[in-house]
Amino acid sequence: MGFRRELIAPLSKAVPAPIQFFEIAPENWLELGGASAATLRGFTERFPFVCHGLSLSLGGPGPLDTSLLKRIRSFMVAHGVGLYTEHLSWCADEHQLYDLLPIPMTGEAVKWVAQRIATAQDILGMRIGIENASTYFIPPGAEMSETEFIRAIVTEADCALHLDVNNLFVNSRNHGFDPVAFLKALPLERVCYVHVAGHHVEPDGLIIDTHGADVIDPVWALLDQAYAHINRDVPTCLERDFNFPALPELVGEVSRIEAAQGKAAARRERVAV
Amino acid sequence: MTHTPAFQAFQRAFAQHLRDPHHVKRPAGVPDRRAKVYQALLFNNLCGFIDRCFPVSRELIGPPRWARLCRTFYRDWPLSDPLPRHIPREFVAYLASGEIKQPLPAWLPELLHYEWAELAVDIMDVSLPAHNPDGDCLEGRPLINPASMMLAYVWPVHRISPDYRPRKAPATPTHLVVHRSPEGEVRFAQINAVTQRLLSLIAAGHTGRAALTALAAELSHPQHNKLIEYGGALLKDLSRQGVILGTAV
Repeated sequence: MGFRRELIAPLSKAVPAPIQFFEIAPENWLELGGASAATLRGFTERFPFVCHGLSLSLGGPGPLDTSLLKRIRSFMVAHGVGLYTEHLSWCADEHQLYDLLPIPMTGEAVKWVAQRIATAQDILGMRIGIENASTYFIPPGAEMSETEFIRAIVTEADCALHLDVNNLFVNSRNHGFDPVAFLKALPLERVCYVHVAGHHVEPDGLIIDTHGADVIDPVWALLDQAYAHINRDVPTCLERDFNFPALPELVGEVSRIEAAQGKAAARRERVAV
Repeated sequence: MTHTPAFQAFQRAFAQHLRDPHHVKRPAGVPDRRAKVYQALLFNNLCGFIDRCFPVSRELIGPPRWARLCRTFYRDWPLSDPLPRHIPREFVAYLASGEIKQPLPAWLPELLHYEWAELAVDIMDVSLPAHNPDGDCLEGRPLINPASMMLAYVWPVHRISPDYRPRKAPATPTHLVVHRSPEGEVRFAQINAVTQRLLSLIAAGHTGRAALTALAAELSHPQHNKLIEYGGALLKDLSRQGVILGTAV
């Protein structure tokens, strides 16, 4: 589950069993002192954590922030974090915009992004995962589809894929494509990590990826599909960034992930027999 | 000339549009409705970080003027720090830069700084050096809490409120110390100019007695012993409040 300040109070009393690890944005926690730092330390000593970056701007036109990468590496070492993923998007030119923007899907962009991912992997000393992002339009000049773009980058950079099932669903609605066909076209053998989350639907039907609502049934169904096609166990995180319900409700969603994983594992076993 | 790939030319044009959507046209190929989604997402995200840090300032100048300030901040101020928590610090620097055309109360930059200091001390990344919490602050070298900031303002920022918007700066400046308790609680204490000077002498590594002797000389104080006696009690008090941790070991 995403580790959020709003959830620290109930989690400090007890961490419910279905939660097996937490995810944090390193940009929100690195070089932090005081009570927040002590709290985080109390959790990272007891639970595995995953880092999911926000500000690296892998697809951005400005220089790659290698200093940030070194700071993230120190943070990960200090807290024993073994996996880092970032969005396949951009959030800065020379300066920050602090939000995720769509990359024009061109051959030149593939080379540019892949080379930056490779640099990030060198600095972090590990393979990283890149996440399919939610987008609200397809930038002009696209020379390939999103699945082709993702596959080309993952292959060229030799990195892993962080599959966000909600983002896939959001894009399938906003851009009008079949989510299962899209899923099957992804390099699923490279998936290292999965996200599920809720979203918001605007009055005109446009879906905004807010992480502020419960996960909807079609996204749960897509998660089942994803597990079936990935065909092995993958750690999965429930993202919730605001509009928090009581902890037991979120834990209910985490249990649902666990159940979906169990179902997929049972199916694999039946096939193996 | 280096070649700018088309995809990057698009990105730069879109970034400029998002920083100033009312004046910079969106690039060709971006649908209006979808551009507006990004405009709102980015601006609201930025304002979220700013609004949370400065509730008093925002209330005092009112949400419409506040939003205009945030808008020009996003457009004009180079934000190079990748950590979103540093956005408020940059906002303080922007207000202090004097580059803003919008007329604003003279005390606003200081009030913003004061509001930011609370957040800054709350999350300050410091480790506590070895110290004796019961040490003698007069004979030993008092250790100032590293999770603290000494603040000096022209305006009485801690008193400014909807009912008190000063038009003229008072004759004497306002000195405050903001510090974090071992339990992580942020506290403010008002001090005077002499105490502030004493704390800066102590920060330079003097013993309490040496700092007070130097201070007595600076002030040409007629009764050094009286000042040292008074100063010793003051140091004890600052120690009790947590501004001073104890003495260095």
